[in-house]
Amino acid sequence: MNISNLLTNLNSLLFNILDVLSILLPVLLSVAFMTIIERKQLAAHQRRIGPNTVGYYGVLQPFADALKLILKETIIPSQSNKIIFYLAPVSTLVFSLLGWAVIPFGQGIVISDLTLGVLYTLALSSLGVYGILLAGWSANSKYAFLGSLRSTAAMISYELILSSAILIIILLTGSLNYITIIEIQQAIWFIVPLLPVFIFYFIAVLAETSRTPFDLQEAESELVAGFFTEHSSVPFVFFFLGEYSSIVLFSCITAIFFLGGYNIPEIFINETIINVQAIVLGFKTCIFTFFFVWFRATLPRLRYDQLIELCWLNLLPVAVAFIILIPSILITFEISPY
Amino acid sequence: MFIFIFVPILAGILLALNVFLAPHKPDEAKVSAYECGFLALPGQTRNTFQIHFMIVALLFLIFDLEILLLFPLAVSLYQVSIFGFTIGIIFFIVLTIGFVLEIGSGAIALTNFNTEKQSNINLLPVDPYKNNGYS
Repeated sequence: MNISNLLTNLNSLLFNILDVLSILLPVLLSVAFMTIIERKQLAAHQRRIGPNTVGYYGVLQPFADALKLILKETIIPSQSNKIIFYLAPVSTLVFSLLGWAVIPFGQGIVISDLTLGVLYTLALSSLGVYGILLAGWSANSKYAFLGSLRSTAAMISYELILSSAILIIILLTGSLNYITIIEIQQAIWFIVPLLPVFIFYFIAVLAETSRTPFDLQEAESELVAGFFTEHSSVPFVFFFLGEYSSIVLFSCITAIFFLGGYNIPEIFINETIINVQAIVLGFKTCIFTFFFVWFRATLPRLRYDQLIELCWLNLLPVAVAFIILIPSILITFEISPY
Repeated sequence: MFIFIFVPILAGILLALNVFLAPHKPDEAKVSAYECGFLALPGQTRNTFQIHFMIVALLFLIFDLEILLLFPLAVSLYQVSIFGFTIGIIFFIVLTIGFVLEIGSGAIALTNFNTEKQSNINLLPVDPYKNNGYS
């Protein structure tokens, strides 16, 4: 191998590293700020101030929390399966961060422009269940075990609703590629024709990220802390980061599916170096993260049997009906959106 | 796809930071299983659990497969047009019959689970213990 070949290889490796870092660092920062936004916004809903000591207006609070948790002692229960006990939180974090690989932040600004991007997202959200299952099993504690059973049953039930809502969008776009989905929405954002679909899609997303009103894993009076009862310090941070990363990720995906992603009505033509498209996508994502916290401040938690029956007896028939109805309309009126 | 290598490395770095920086002094009370206020009894972990969770998982398998099988139809709906859509509808009718049977058998009904003597989870559509002439 000659020198120039080696240099080219090194160059492409460096480019790859920068590529990944330029996506992942802002993502991790936004996940950190999501936690402080949640606390501040919950405080605002209840007319409190919220955290305001660390940094200006408490902005640096998540970094102080992360530093504290890294410096805490990791307690591994003696009866647990040690390897799986570590593997479970790592897999939760990894699977929720890997979802960012296919999100387009602007025209062509994406780590990997997969043709099957939507299927990739669905697969990763299915794999997220394994972290919960392994954590509950490996801790070998009855609270963790019961919590993981309940979380797993809830998550896999609502995944059906999520994938059928996504199927309806695929029916309209005819492509599994995110950039195609966004470009088709230049005509109209999908939230306008598909408002009912959006509603049950968002319910499924709330359950999929296990947020209120579906956060049964954190029903404090029944199951101490759900499947991560025995996890402490950095393994706990991984679960926490994974949960908030998937909140931001799903807000972003919702913005792409229903609000047209980085599309803006062409008020002005962007010829500057500032990427207005990414800012637009960020703004739309913020709308949905606001919704997440708003629901947490407003809604009471469902009982477990209500949760399962809501999914199987109410939402799933509606989802199936929409899967029949929407292609019927498309075929009857011969509307071809692509 | 460098990200597949990078993200696990990131997690490893955080774990290593914790190992190097945090104290590590386990004692008997710390490493025992969590229990609320008294000593943990042995043999209570990994107990038997309700069949209901298993049934939900099985139903999920069938229905998720069903929806994933429809993805190719969704992508190619305008090529296969009305013929392909009819096949899809037939596929759905079969599954809907199964779904109705499953709801009717009470496989996902959890209400009054503890108050009724007989379990609600009964995979047979007809209750074999009721009015069967043996009592």
